[in-house]
Amino acid sequence: MISTREKVFNYAFLTLLAAAVLFPVIWTLGVAVSPEITGSVDLGHMRWSNFADAWQQAGLTQYLKSSLIITGTAVAISTALAILSGYAFGVLGVVGEKLLFPLLLFGIMIPLEAIVVPMYYDFQSQGLTDTYQGIILAHVGTGVSFGAFWMRAAFRTVPSSIGESAQVDGAGTWTALWRIYLPISRPAIVTFVLLNFMWTWNDYFLSLILVSDPAHQPMTLGLGAFSGRYLVHVNLLAAAAVLISVPVVGLYVFCQRQFIRGMLSGAVKG
Amino acid sequence: MATLNESRASEAAAAPATASAGGEAVHTPRRTNRARSSSGRRRWLGLVYLAPALLIYACVVLLPAGQGVNLSFYHWDGITAATWAGVENYTDFFTDPTLRQAVGHTLFFIVFFSFLPVVLGMTSAALTARKDTRGAGVYRWIIFLPQVLTPAVVAVVWKQIYAPDGPLNSVLSAFGLGGLTRGWLGDFAWALPALGLAGTWGAFGLCMVLFAAGAQNIPNELYDAARMDGAGPLREFFTVTLPGLRGQLAVALTLTLLGAIRVFDIVWLTTKGGPGTSTITPSVVLYKRAFSNPDVGAACAIGVVLAVVALIVSLAVVKLSEGDD
Repeated sequence: MISTREKVFNYAFLTLLAAAVLFPVIWTLGVAVSPEITGSVDLGHMRWSNFADAWQQAGLTQYLKSSLIITGTAVAISTALAILSGYAFGVLGVVGEKLLFPLLLFGIMIPLEAIVVPMYYDFQSQGLTDTYQGIILAHVGTGVSFGAFWMRAAFRTVPSSIGESAQVDGAGTWTALWRIYLPISRPAIVTFVLLNFMWTWNDYFLSLILVSDPAHQPMTLGLGAFSGRYLVHVNLLAAAAVLISVPVVGLYVFCQRQFIRGMLSGAVKG
Repeated sequence: MATLNESRASEAAAAPATASAGGEAVHTPRRTNRARSSSGRRRWLGLVYLAPALLIYACVVLLPAGQGVNLSFYHWDGITAATWAGVENYTDFFTDPTLRQAVGHTLFFIVFFSFLPVVLGMTSAALTARKDTRGAGVYRWIIFLPQVLTPAVVAVVWKQIYAPDGPLNSVLSAFGLGGLTRGWLGDFAWALPALGLAGTWGAFGLCMVLFAAGAQNIPNELYDAARMDGAGPLREFFTVTLPGLRGQLAVALTLTLLGAIRVFDIVWLTTKGGPGTSTITPSVVLYKRAFSNPDVGAACAIGVVLAVVALIVSLAVVKLSEGDD
């Protein structure tokens, strides 16, 4: 059906696009293992110790610790809240739903910029700036809307007959959630966790505003500080950049489908 | 039936997240039945399940949103008492040169962060989709990769690419174009388009993969029919492919337009809005007004305007994509 010429063009075109996308990535990888601090690529003298040096010079241990605490806790709480609120909207129904659901959806549409400044002053007055609790709370709060929306959609695809059969068996709503709705909706939950992990790990803006104490800042801010130093060793900077990207890209390697499907559905957080 | 219409309306409002989620389109009336059969007790129980999320949402999102609107009508330095400003913080958008410039840059960025990726993505998808490519998964993985890369990392990398002795200048020199080399991000004229191109790089893959996925779902019969009518590739694109991708187009436009009006990370981590104010964006102005030499009311006004624009963009795109049905 498709002529050879068309096929060759197709591959050439796709390869060109892929090369354009990959150029900055490959260049970064190349620099990260090169000895030159100016950032020229020299694969003849690979220097793997760049990663250890970058780790040490950028102080990534502390930043990693913060990133892990912030991301781990925020994702766990967000997931729990998403399941509970999605179950409420999608299965149980909620008193005042007609008002509450649109109210919650408002959070998907309103950009972070519109709330972050008053949020900073609120947090400051409560002593929440420069704390893990504060930034975690901010991540969880700005993610609630998407979570409720996502899990509601997932639970609504569960045939009502299954839920009703559980009711006949006398299972309470809590048991029905654990025994029936959660296992069936596992794929949606996995996607939610992955997207949430990515958003929280990758965040820069929210952390920049709410956390000015380096001891509580995540890796993205650590990278920003490292790149803003007076004398930048480009190869070490590239190595640090690679290290910070590894967790999400690693997950993306194994869960390509979930990432793409999730993001193509238009998923956005705050 | 009223409940059903209601829920439809609220879902349309949430379109950035639904437009392409095909499953959502199937609304069975079972919820109405269930709501009737289930006692009010069940719905109160639902409220209990919802309560923790709602409480946090109210504190972290709703309260600051309200405060932001309120503060936007005051002058406040973050410490001393606020003074009434009326709409002054809003008229800044017309009178303040920096802010006006930032708005202009947003329009410029819309081209690079939204229109170019959408057009390029659509073209690429139309050229390559439906061809049964071997290794399509690998190409898709690569082309989509920028979406999962940490924006701070992307910013730092582009900063180095555009650096005076960075790879872009090396490539230009290698091709005998040494005269063109410069510190791209330090150049008043070139910094903005340079950042724009980085944005195109970042958004293109999302658009292409989105359109390619949509194109797979267009029935072959439509293409056959168009061929029968003697349509060339161009007419085929406009009569079959483009209408078939309306939903995806809505999602792509919403996501990329919202990205374009909110640009922050890449500017802040590369130029901080400079040189001078030549790459400043509303979000950067917001950040500066809020935290360095604070004029909190002015910062909040920018936030409110961004929110209103974001809302209008989302709703307008949904309306456009729904078209005549």
